[in-house]
Amino acid sequence: MPATTPRGTRRGSPQLRLRIGFVVIAMVLSVFGARLVQLQGIDPNSYAEMAAAEGLVEVDLPATRGQIMDRNGEPLADSIDGMMVVADPRLTDDDAADLAAFLYRKLGVDYVSTLAKLRAHQTEQGVEARFEYIARRVPATIATEVVEEADSKGYQGLDTRRDPLRDYPAGDVAANLVGFMGTDEPLAGLERTFDKELSGVDGSTRYEVGSGNRLPLGESTITEPVDGKDLRTTLDTKLQWYAQRVIRETVENARAESGFAIVMDSRTGELLAVADDPTYDPNEPTASAKADLGSRALQDVYEPGSVQKVLTASSLLDLGLVTPRTKIVVPSDLPRDGRVIHDWFTHGTIRLTLTGAIAQSSNIGTVLAADRFKDGQLFRYLRQFGLGKPTRIGVRGETKGLLPRLSEWTSQLEDRIDFGQSLSVNGVQMAAAVNTIANGGVRVSPSLIKGSATSDDGRPVGTDHATHTRVVSEQAAKQTALMMERVVDPDVGVAPGAAVPGYRVAGKTGTAQRVGEECGCYDGTFTVSFAGFAPADDPRFTIYVVVQNPRNGGGGGSVAGPAFAKIMSYALRRYGVPPTGTQPSRLPVEW
Amino acid sequence: MQVRSRIPRLAGAAVERARLTVVPRRRRAAGRAPFLALVTMVLLGGVVGLLLFNTSMQQASFATTGLEQQATRLAARQQSLEMELDRLRNPQRIAAAAKRLGMVQACSPAFLRLGTGEVSGVPCAGGGPDSPSLRINPLPPSKPAILNPPPNVVTVDPPASAGENSQADTGRGNPDRDARDGRKKNNR
Repeated sequence: MPATTPRGTRRGSPQLRLRIGFVVIAMVLSVFGARLVQLQGIDPNSYAEMAAAEGLVEVDLPATRGQIMDRNGEPLADSIDGMMVVADPRLTDDDAADLAAFLYRKLGVDYVSTLAKLRAHQTEQGVEARFEYIARRVPATIATEVVEEADSKGYQGLDTRRDPLRDYPAGDVAANLVGFMGTDEPLAGLERTFDKELSGVDGSTRYEVGSGNRLPLGESTITEPVDGKDLRTTLDTKLQWYAQRVIRETVENARAESGFAIVMDSRTGELLAVADDPTYDPNEPTASAKADLGSRALQDVYEPGSVQKVLTASSLLDLGLVTPRTKIVVPSDLPRDGRVIHDWFTHGTIRLTLTGAIAQSSNIGTVLAADRFKDGQLFRYLRQFGLGKPTRIGVRGETKGLLPRLSEWTSQLEDRIDFGQSLSVNGVQMAAAVNTIANGGVRVSPSLIKGSATSDDGRPVGTDHATHTRVVSEQAAKQTALMMERVVDPDVGVAPGAAVPGYRVAGKTGTAQRVGEECGCYDGTFTVSFAGFAPADDPRFTIYVVVQNPRNGGGGGSVAGPAFAKIMSYALRRYGVPPTGTQPSRLPVEW
Repeated sequence: MQVRSRIPRLAGAAVERARLTVVPRRRRAAGRAPFLALVTMVLLGGVVGLLLFNTSMQQASFATTGLEQQATRLAARQQSLEMELDRLRNPQRIAAAAKRLGMVQACSPAFLRLGTGEVSGVPCAGGGPDSPSLRINPLPPSKPAILNPPPNVVTVDPPASAGENSQADTGRGNPDRDARDGRKKNNR
């Protein structure tokens, strides 16, 4: 009977239906599974990026570059928010002339070249130009104002981008040491030596935006930037400026090639000023010759000349071989091993004390006194004075000077070294050596960085790492200072122009022949210098002035001496150092 | 059977009353409307609340963006002003300004002790012959001879009758007056 046919036969057995159903579900799920593996397992990042591109922005958070400051915290180099103004020539083409005039008025850019950039044109590759720099490194406030004003006037196609700005507010003051920044990286000076410390670490942030506003509850991550550390130098901006102006005037008046002046705190070895001339403006470094961008006070070698006699005499005194009153018979010239040593002034046979040999700067007198050295003694003293070794104060490309090795020393060489020939130094080296006398016979290593800083090659430098080494006894240093006082005496010395009225000044002139670069021989030009300190019986400042190749025929006393006096007078006044009021040196110069 | 036998036998009628029977289902009197209204209210309230909350968050986000921009602008302004200040402190600028005001450099330092009235150092008057002078600007670069020829001076004898007719009222023609004017300018 059809009525009794079971319903199950028409729909199939339930087990079979269930199985088929499960199989279908399993197939669908495995497709999903495969897709999941494809999306998440094989290449998840590209999809994440595609998702991120929809409204997710990533912004760099640039670290602020540290300042370079003088000893009082006045900035020598400073970072501020800068912007570049850029243009899309396709959009600016319509108002190019008006816009160029507007930008010329507001930003001081060149009208003609700006107009060319604003006109629609093709790039060198032959495609339509859509991007032109109009002005770079403009302070952010100015850039934003200009672009906003342009917008409100209806000019289109101007925009701003971030463009950090390094400013040197003091201009050429200490420029030769501070250095400067190129478009992206530091190119010279402390900026480059301490770049790692100064630059810091950039951060970044990611967040979702909708029509320019951050979406709340959207993705948001931030890596905070680490700002660069400030670098504090031992320089004194005002003194540095004064020294720079004095050395420039000196160089100009003497029609010299170049010059530098170093001011050192006698007790701490801190460099208060290292003035170079010619110098440059770090805000416009390309306007100056490349040779002027470094620091000649540290990077040039030259023969110190008679200033070296100070070191020779103090070493002799330390060994107890002479006294300031040691009597020397100085002949008109001194033949030595086939070569004749002369003095700078013609004289017959004269009778000088050691003091007289220093005050009159007699080569022959010094050589005769230095004959008392045993082999190698002078060499060891000069090493201790710091010659032949770089000062490592944190300036790039410093020369270590040239002190012949002991094995190369002959009696003839030693004679010449006695009065400052046949060895070369850099300025700071020599200033530190003379400062040893000022500091009672203890050499303080010079420093340019206050505290401590690590240069990019991993060397810590600064006042925290200054070392003190005794080179000569206090007695020897004191006697040397007394002898040096006679140099500026108007009656017996050669450099009365270096005197500071009312103060006891000790000093020594130097006039050395220069070695020409091409021939490697003395080329007839001179290095004139003056090194000294004041007050002589309680020194506060050691100043070393060097002028290369003066063409007015001047020597150390007449060219460098007055510059020394000017800078010393300013330093004493600026730091309020009163005269000591003691009796000046009366050591006899003749017998 | 043992168990059943223990149950006390109750009266037949009582057993009949106690037997479970299906009672007619009671229809609820309450209508659907209040419940629906409640659910709608909750739903609407939720949606509107969420909307308002979201809007306020968005509002706050606008405010944040605005304030952040303002902070950036102000920070940039501060930096620009600091830069201006630092440039004003440039010793070269100060020296030039001082010179314009007629200031002179001090000569060698001297000290006056207030207790004893004793003077140490050698005092001298500023601007006097002993006072140092310092050029604060570089000399102009010297031109090569071809760009800097010696001045070509031509001496012309004035014609004998010239100057007779030119009167002082023309001013310009009077050499004495020119010289006077020049002096006046210099004095100022």
